Amino acid sequence: MRATWLLAFGPMAAACASPPPARVPAQASPPLVAESEALADTAPKHDLRLVPPEVYLRTYLALFGGLAPLDVQAKARGADRAQIFDAWDDYVSALGLPDYRFDIPRQTRTQALMIATFERLGVALCDRAVEHDLEADAFGTPTPANERLIFAFDLPKEGELDAAGFAARFDVLHRTFLGYPSALAPPDRVRRFYRLYQEIVLNHAKADPRSRFSPPHAGWAAVCYGLVRHPEFHLY
Amino acid sequence: MPTRQEVAAFERPDFDWDEWVDRALGEPAYADRMTRIYMDLLRLEPNLNFASAPSDLLRHEVVGPDGKPVWVYYRENQRRMRPETDGEFCLDPDETGMGVRPRQQDVQSETRKPKPISQKLLDAYTVLVKPWWLYRDYLGANPQARFGSSGWGDPDPGYKPVESLLADDGKPVLAVRVCREEASSLAMGHVFARRMTRVRTKAAAPPGDNRDEPAGGRIRPLPVDKPYATKHQGDEVSCATKMALEYAPDCGCGPGLERCLPGDANNGGSAFTFPNHSLLGEGVSLDEAKQSQQRWFPYWWSREAVHFLEDLFAGDRDFREVLTGKQTFVNGPLAQFYGTIQRSNCCGPEVTFGMLEESEPLFEPSRVPQDLAPQDVSTWKSVGDRGPHAAGLLTMPIFLEKYASARARGAALYNDFLCKSFAPGAQPLAPSTEPNLMIRPGCRACHAELEPMAAYFARVEAASFVFLPSAQFPVRSTACKLDANGRLNGACNALYDAAFADSHSATLRSAYGSPEHADATPAGAAHDLVATPEFAQCAVQRVVASFLGRPTTPDDDPLLASLTQRFVRSGYRMKALVRALLQSDAYARTNDERAP
Repeated sequence: MRATWLLAFGPMAAACASPPPARVPAQASPPLVAESEALADTAPKHDLRLVPPEVYLRTYLALFGGLAPLDVQAKARGADRAQIFDAWDDYVSALGLPDYRFDIPRQTRTQALMIATFERLGVALCDRAVEHDLEADAFGTPTPANERLIFAFDLPKEGELDAAGFAARFDVLHRTFLGYPSALAPPDRVRRFYRLYQEIVLNHAKADPRSRFSPPHAGWAAVCYGLVRHPEFHLY
Repeated sequence: MPTRQEVAAFERPDFDWDEWVDRALGEPAYADRMTRIYMDLLRLEPNLNFASAPSDLLRHEVVGPDGKPVWVYYRENQRRMRPETDGEFCLDPDETGMGVRPRQQDVQSETRKPKPISQKLLDAYTVLVKPWWLYRDYLGANPQARFGSSGWGDPDPGYKPVESLLADDGKPVLAVRVCREEASSLAMGHVFARRMTRVRTKAAAPPGDNRDEPAGGRIRPLPVDKPYATKHQGDEVSCATKMALEYAPDCGCGPGLERCLPGDANNGGSAFTFPNHSLLGEGVSLDEAKQSQQRWFPYWWSREAVHFLEDLFAGDRDFREVLTGKQTFVNGPLAQFYGTIQRSNCCGPEVTFGMLEESEPLFEPSRVPQDLAPQDVSTWKSVGDRGPHAAGLLTMPIFLEKYASARARGAALYNDFLCKSFAPGAQPLAPSTEPNLMIRPGCRACHAELEPMAAYFARVEAASFVFLPSAQFPVRSTACKLDANGRLNGACNALYDAAFADSHSATLRSAYGSPEHADATPAGAAHDLVATPEFAQCAVQRVVASFLGRPTTPDDDPLLASLTQRFVRSGYRMKALVRALLQSDAYARTNDERAP
């Protein structure tokens, strides 16, 4: 016991008993020697233009069929407990909007959280659009073409979708999300998205347990995810 | 983002870019986009509370004659003839068995338990009223058009009283029980003085000493007569004023309680459901929340600023009107506010100077459209001229409450409309008792600019929007002077600055930086600011930075200079500026990267 006491408090007692340390005189430090020189880049950096979040919100409201925000919230959340969307109130700051309840100003620069939040909304939109536009209702009736919001095209009833068929349908989505025809995009964009579509269709055909979407529907959902995540959509 | 139809239009060979831009500049989205620039800059969002004791109706539960709870509405500090309840809840603790305190827990004691109150007492001190928030025709002799009933079946969709105001125990509320004084609909009341010395409370008296103890077991001492009350007992006073609450027991909330706002609890509680965020405009809310009575008017103040700015941009008015314009827009709640409620914000210390009621309000109540009911939240009407002191955003309550002090207001002008910021120099902060910050070492670098700017707002009270006319409140007043202890008396100290006073006179608060600016008022600030070259340069800089999505840099100076020239030449029209900006190479280059 004594040994433990000495071990624990001995150094403290010794420190208290010892005289205060002598004042250390200030010493001039040797001058810093330059090891190399680099030119400072003083040219102004031009960032990509950030579209105000309100523009995205209005776009999403339109893409969801011109619904009011609270209706979009209900629709995006759905009733399947997938939790792909919460409530607008949870996202106000993350979307870059000002929230003056807490004196948070508008975010003036795009950042990862903002993009991720919009992606989340986009993924919700894509999933709900597949359900609305491509899947038949309980009576087996498909949504009429003029009522489809995002996937405003028919899918082939049988067989695989060839590259030309994909390109025509992809152009509809490209115009919807990126605001111009896919023909004006970099030349390999359609090909790359077609490959994505094919891989998803293939993988979903093998998926176990089965996805809630059919392979072609999952393929189109993935194309949609790709477009709502595309830099051109975020930096339009 | 363009729709598929717009993209198709872009592809047509006859697509006309200029025509498309002109059309876009005529759409609501343009005004919305421009409005956002200044709303973001000034942060005129409704995160404020407006607390006005004369207009806040609190609600407390008592035990009714049948043992069931009864809600009774009352005002904090309401004067009453009964000494038991003067300045307190209208039923005393001995009658209800509870010590009601506004916005606080009831005072409990072992001997005092809530008890049923007799119908006779209830009828004597309270009365049933059909209030404005329940009845569209509340001004009628026998209101029938109740919210949600067939008589008022199509209420404004944005007008949503909280459920607890509409129903009680599952049954619709047909009338509310209000303390009798609060229910008074008189326009004019009378100054009352009790002419007695301060009375001790039970708690302050020694045990067994019941001398001077008021009946009823009241908790606080009786209100003390103010000098004005003893001198002017019996004089008439407007019941719409703050003064009435403190001086006149015969003044209340007016016909249908229209001078008051309800709350569903003793701490104010909730009153209406409305959004926290209206970032996409009215009716496009991102949420709905039950809000307190104190948030109701700030919400509409903020919307007033939005409507003002949208009109400025949509109508392509001279942008200088953002500071100089006398016009505005009001809806039902704002008509109620400017017509009646704002008057309850005055007067307290001003009474000593002879101002019993605001004599030169920034928004004259007579200019309020008469055909707007408090429930018309979605109907907005133009007001061409708010009054001689009106000055664009600067005299709106949302600006004056958001920037509560004269310095904050001056700094907002300096930063937001001149694009200048205060940068302290390298002067050491030497100890100093110099009250003049324009010369105090270490302070003068900023305050030499700031104090004269702040002086423009010396005539608008801090944290308020009460205007102090020069007739009653000269910049240098001989009515206020330092006493032997070097102090100003209470009323003087509220409005005049002891640091700039002597034994002969005192200076109006915030006016010392420039007495001329103080007399110029905010309207003078607007006039002086828009005449500076920095005003146009700053406006251009704000718009360009917003459209380019980045702060401007020295590289942008040539573009800014040419746009400023164009902006000024066009008569400060924003559409000319935006059109020129959209046609500039800088704008076209900004986002020309394409991802693969």
